[in-house]
Amino acid sequence: MKKISLILIFMFAAGTFLRAQDKFYTKTGTIFFRCTKSPLEKIEATNRSATCVLDTKTGSLQFAILVKGFEFERALMQEHFNENYMESGKFPRSEFKGQILNNNEINYTKDGVYNTTVKGRLQIHGETKDVETIGTLTLKDGKISASSGFSILLSDYNIHIPSIVSDKIANNVNITIDCNLELFKGQ
Amino acid sequence: MGVKKKIFIALAIIAIAMGLYVYREYFRKNKNLSYVKANFKIQANALIKEFEENEKNANEKFLDKIIAVSGAIRDVIKDDKGYYSIVLGGDENMSAVRCSMNSIDQDEVGLLKKGNIIMIKGACTGFNADDLLGSDIILNRCVIQKNDSR
Repeated sequence: MKKISLILIFMFAAGTFLRAQDKFYTKTGTIFFRCTKSPLEKIEATNRSATCVLDTKTGSLQFAILVKGFEFERALMQEHFNENYMESGKFPRSEFKGQILNNNEINYTKDGVYNTTVKGRLQIHGETKDVETIGTLTLKDGKISASSGFSILLSDYNIHIPSIVSDKIANNVNITIDCNLELFKGQ
Repeated sequence: MGVKKKIFIALAIIAIAMGLYVYREYFRKNKNLSYVKANFKIQANALIKEFEENEKNANEKFLDKIIAVSGAIRDVIKDDKGYYSIVLGGDENMSAVRCSMNSIDQDEVGLLKKGNIIMIKGACTGFNADDLLGSDIILNRCVIQKNDSR
């Protein structure tokens, strides 16, 4: 009887211990996008304050950014991006909530580079669409770096390009994500 | 000088002025905030409180404004491309003011340590609310306004 309760206590303790080590996060993830059409005019911006949470147990993956946090090289472009295209006053946040489909193929206890397929819902400009993409998780010394690149269509998110600039802004936007995730130690 | 010639010269001057304005506006960079006066001066914890109590009002007040925030440094984070973020705010909750630093003053930023009392000026990009990780007010293009450890 004593033995059984000891085993139970041990299992319970191990369970809570493992649960605490499931989540990885960052608040300084980098998201870069480019929708350049003409080689004369670079239309690209970077956001360095993306939050990301990965639950290694379930494979659930979330990102969130503030739209106003995108930095352009040119101030006028940044103002147009916020005011005319993204309407960041009305839609301040963008987020992604999804799932690593092949999470069970990733051995989170072993360093290495793992290919992933991620599927989820991406919200931009108040519109939510399904996206699926491939990415990599690189495990090293208890940290995970997550990266991915994919493209979306502005028209899917109700963002219209006026014809006067349609030779400069591509409807097809390439997005790159780089996050260095650390173990989440809780409150 | 004939009237026609005068009109021509006047039009030419207007055209050049407009061209110059368009050119400068087109290539205008984001201002280095070192030379911009802050719209607000506030303690980090007081700013967090304003956003936590009423995000909508706080957004109306602070969004896109230049804020000088003072407080103790909770963390200094350098990403793998060398960009620094300074985290300000009390320890009672997970919420904080995260200052994404301007790339120009990296040398001084690199010397900052946890616990230093500092005032940082940046452009407010909003409040990123997160139940798990704690909510953050994010300032961009930040510069050091006052560094008491120096």
